[in-house]
Amino acid sequence: MGFQVLDPTNEMAPPLGQLAPRPGSLRGKTVGFISNGKEGTKGYFAHLDRMLREDFGVASVVNRTKSNYSAPADGWIVGEIANWDAIVTGIGD
Amino acid sequence: MHLTSRIYDAGDIAAVQELYHSNGWTDGLPIVPPTRDAVEACLDWAMTPPDQLLGIEPVRALAVTAEKLAINAVMAGCLPMHFPAVLTAFTAMLQPEFLLHGATASTGGCAIFVVLNGPIRREIGASGSFNALGNSDRATAVIGRALRLALINILEVRPGGIDRSTLGHPGKFTFCVAEDEEDSAWLSLAEQRGMPKEVSAVTVMAAGSPRQIMNEWTTEPKEILETFAAEMRANLRHYSLHAGNYALVIPKQLREHLISAGWSKTDIAAFIHERARIPRREWADVGKGAVVRDRGDSIYPALESPEHLLVVAAGGPAGGFGAIIPPWLGHKSQAVTMAIGACVDCGPVSG
Repeated sequence: MGFQVLDPTNEMAPPLGQLAPRPGSLRGKTVGFISNGKEGTKGYFAHLDRMLREDFGVASVVNRTKSNYSAPADGWIVGEIANWDAIVTGIGD
Repeated sequence: MHLTSRIYDAGDIAAVQELYHSNGWTDGLPIVPPTRDAVEACLDWAMTPPDQLLGIEPVRALAVTAEKLAINAVMAGCLPMHFPAVLTAFTAMLQPEFLLHGATASTGGCAIFVVLNGPIRREIGASGSFNALGNSDRATAVIGRALRLALINILEVRPGGIDRSTLGHPGKFTFCVAEDEEDSAWLSLAEQRGMPKEVSAVTVMAAGSPRQIMNEWTTEPKEILETFAAEMRANLRHYSLHAGNYALVIPKQLREHLISAGWSKTDIAAFIHERARIPRREWADVGKGAVVRDRGDSIYPALESPEHLLVVAAGGPAGGFGAIIPPWLGHKSQAVTMAIGACVDCGPVSG
């Protein structure tokens, strides 16, 4: 006996985000970090901060930490993003 | 009824299984073929149109419709009468306080613990007696499984994909219990959380695996509850210091001692709130001294307030075996209770 069965997946793609224009260079730019606040991020972002300033000539680094590491960034942090030339964020510990 | 899901042809039952397994659409176990008739019967029973939007998971902007949930419920083995509980549970999971993306993506590997209350339990044959946290009956087995399949397929919560669990636990196949209301003098969990007695309701909680306790050597309420509190303290030490929702599953043998001594669920929660707490310095005893720092004397309760304890009467008639069910990650995800079907003045309750 044959079956006709239905697709259990979402089938509705979420709206795609668009990549912001890439800066040609980081020299003199402002870079924002959005950390999830977990223990391992402290050393990681401190090292990245040093590297961006010393090796890439970044003018300033803005550190922000989410109030809940399992939820999207707080609205007030998202509101600041427009002031930065580039942003580093990510998932994981 | 207008269903919009893509239709696949499969020659026989074996071909259906291979189609679903090979696409990553299962939990590894065989599924029931989700035919149009079976899916429509679920939607009919719940008086829900297929395009009803249950919610949108905000992190990934994925919509969840009744049609897609019904397909996954049929796959899990649900009959139409089981679907209203699935529909309500998934809607509860989509409440912002539940933090669904975090709870299902986290390395912490929690599962969705579901408690059924009210008349629907008897209508669908959900048992809260023997083997309550295991394979106790068809209804709880398929309702819990439906939620997992829906997460896998509708929200792409697949191991190694969105699901980043290090270990997970067996409750990720199914983790649903019906409270044994007929054999308990206590208010049900749903009543305790503000639902009227005549309402059927579902409570969902992002939960770690059950930690079983045993105490058959006392009838004294404080001694019985001290065993539960000790297991919660162990969880605070070995897992996480964050306070959140904990569930206590209390079987009949232990319930009888508590009830005959006049202890209500509120009394139990007050006692556990006081006893289930540790100083941070205890982390040094279990190999986590590196993060004690200068806060060794700080006290960490398992519960921010007694109301965060979910006391559930369930388990077979003999045996002093109970369980604590710990939270995934403190109170970042809050338990949510929702009424099944239409209920005036029965909004979702979280916390």
